[in-house]
Amino acid sequence: MIRHGLFIFLIIYFLLTASCSTKIISNNYYQEQKENLDNIERSYEKLNPINPFSLAFTDKEFRIISLEMISDTLTRIYEFNVSEKRLADTLLKYNYDTAGIYYLLRKMQQTKVTWINNFDYYVNDQPQQLIILSIKPVTIRYIFSPPKYIALAYFRTEQFFDEKGRLLDSRRTKQLRKIKGQVFYKITDRICYTITEKYR
Amino acid sequence: MSKEKCIANDLLSKTNSTKKEALEFLDKIDQKKESTHWPNIKPKLFYDNLKLNLEKPMSFYPGRSTNFCAYGALSYLIMEKDPLGYVKFMNDLYEKGEAIFNKNNFKPSTAVMEAAGTLKFKGVLDIRHAEQMWFLVLADKFKGYLNFFDKKFNEGDENTFWAATNLAKFDRMVGKMCGTHVKAVGSDLIKPWVKNVYSYLEKRIDSNIVSLYINNRIIHKKNHDKVKFSIPTHFIILRQIRKENNMITLRYWDYGGETEMQITNRTLKKIIFGIITIDK
Repeated sequence: MIRHGLFIFLIIYFLLTASCSTKIISNNYYQEQKENLDNIERSYEKLNPINPFSLAFTDKEFRIISLEMISDTLTRIYEFNVSEKRLADTLLKYNYDTAGIYYLLRKMQQTKVTWINNFDYYVNDQPQQLIILSIKPVTIRYIFSPPKYIALAYFRTEQFFDEKGRLLDSRRTKQLRKIKGQVFYKITDRICYTITEKYR
Repeated sequence: MSKEKCIANDLLSKTNSTKKEALEFLDKIDQKKESTHWPNIKPKLFYDNLKLNLEKPMSFYPGRSTNFCAYGALSYLIMEKDPLGYVKFMNDLYEKGEAIFNKNNFKPSTAVMEAAGTLKFKGVLDIRHAEQMWFLVLADKFKGYLNFFDKKFNEGDENTFWAATNLAKFDRMVGKMCGTHVKAVGSDLIKPWVKNVYSYLEKRIDSNIVSLYINNRIIHKKNHDKVKFSIPTHFIILRQIRKENNMITLRYWDYGGETEMQITNRTLKKIIFGIITIDK
């Protein structure tokens, strides 16, 4: 009876202690997929200023897309299966570059990019832009453990980092610049990453 | 094919003041004066923001990743009803460090006064110093049970339970600040006992202002987990609802503008936890 109880206790203990240890298989996802990821960022940077939008794959299989079409007065949020004709019709109706967005979607599927969006932020009260990509990497995930995503932030200008490689608010401060409450780490002068439980 | 459409008329027809009166008041103010009470508020950003609030009341932006959405919805109502009251209140608060709005006395904490003007990486809220002040002051003044363990503002609390709003707190806040009758169905955990949500909303949207307390995580997914906590997370102002081919199109106001989305009747029932009807 005691042995039986101990066994159950050990199982519960294992489940609980393993609950916060989702592991990302690759330690170097950006370098492995650098060309594809940079290509996705460049394509989005080219398409977005003409007619702003964001894309999110809301399913694990990368088939369902949530499209946000953003104008000054109204944001339209529609969900489609990528193979649906409705998607192309909608893009056409609202004057989006249909071929460009389909190319972007294919690249996102191949590289497991689950979300792409443009962020505005301010330095000395002047508007700046950055692009965020979230990647759904291959993980080892235990029961009750939260999911993990890699978020990449592509700034347009050189950024500043501390000795631990953490993104700083500016050259003259030691204050960390948190994006959506997350500390970001240096990849290059312009690109940084974080590991997060939410893709957006 | 059935097609139904309902549009909210101009909100709160019984207004206490007009935009013109508010702009005239603002023009007479010295807009360059700094305030010792608000060390991080820049006068130009503050007064430019007040002017923007008057000219484009729908541009109120509660900020990225904050818990200010309920105060955003409240701002929308106040700007429709009493724009002059709003700018007078904000100007008093800026000059004197305390002010009264509709018999509600506001005397914000020092921590809040120091934080206003310093919020960063919140989108355009970064440079909207009047809105930063307004949202922080409202969160500092009105408290509900969600704020029980975090009543004192600390850096970063705009994203935490310090700023959170439950349904009863929202109703109370709207009633006190707008001085109007508020009726709510639903709760923080159990969905409203309404047989047909679409009809319920359709009936009320023309003659009342309708605010919804919704679980935004269902329609704005943040991870790929299929099992999600069924709790409300967001306040919106419903602007339009229509039904076409069993799909419901919702148009609502939240972060500085209107959003339109199509959902099924089942999803509509699933996301709504509170329906707040406010007298015009």
